[in-house]
Amino acid sequence: MKAIIGLGLVLGLLVILPAAQYVLAAGDEAGEYLDRRVEIWGLFYRLMIVAFTIGTVVSGTIVWLVLRFRESNPKAKPTEYEGSGEW
Amino acid sequence: MKDLENGKMSGHSNWPEWVYVGVVIALLCYVGAEAWNIERIVEHVPADAEVIQVIGQQWLWTFEHEDGTKEIGELHVEKGKAYKFEITSKDVIHSFNIHDYVVLLDAVPGKINTVWFSPTDAGEFPIQCREYCGLIHYNMRATLIVEDKGA
Repeated sequence: MKAIIGLGLVLGLLVILPAAQYVLAAGDEAGEYLDRRVEIWGLFYRLMIVAFTIGTVVSGTIVWLVLRFRESNPKAKPTEYEGSGEW
Repeated sequence: MKDLENGKMSGHSNWPEWVYVGVVIALLCYVGAEAWNIERIVEHVPADAEVIQVIGQQWLWTFEHEDGTKEIGELHVEKGKAYKFEITSKDVIHSFNIHDYVVLLDAVPGKINTVWFSPTDAGEFPIQCREYCGLIHYNMRATLIVEDKGA
């Protein structure tokens, strides 16, 4: 079962998605006049907002983890393994 | 440990982790969808676009308009009109770039790559090869000259 799901995922990534992209994104119908600069730079700025948001969430979580679970934090409790004193 | 009851930690919750995973996945989905959508919009050529053949060779650009007019090192276009570039190369791989109009596409021997644009400002804009193509790559330049209608 896992092999079938894996095969499906690989096929999806290698065959189906590029085919759908080709049919839907690069279709034959005529496009409208637009300013590439506006579209492409607009996309860039939106993606930068997302990139910095993800960066903030990830790095903020790491900083919080390090501070919250440091050994010298009064709130820190030893884990079951550490508490047993068996090393 | 005292808190361990029936194999589960009492008072423990996983929801912040799921929120974290959900937010990151949602943002990545947004990135993919948005980029795909803009690519789709930008790639659709208007029906009335004039085709210009662009040929790169060491180390100059040649342009051929639909009416057969050829230009070397200069490209004259009209403001507000759509142009579809059919880009190829005679020797090695080059890359056709009009920085000011965010046009960038490889010129590959034996292959025709297409990209379109519509100039919105009159003036002169540099065209530059963006793929290292040999000794004088740095000077493989041309000028895009955008003229007002009827000029």
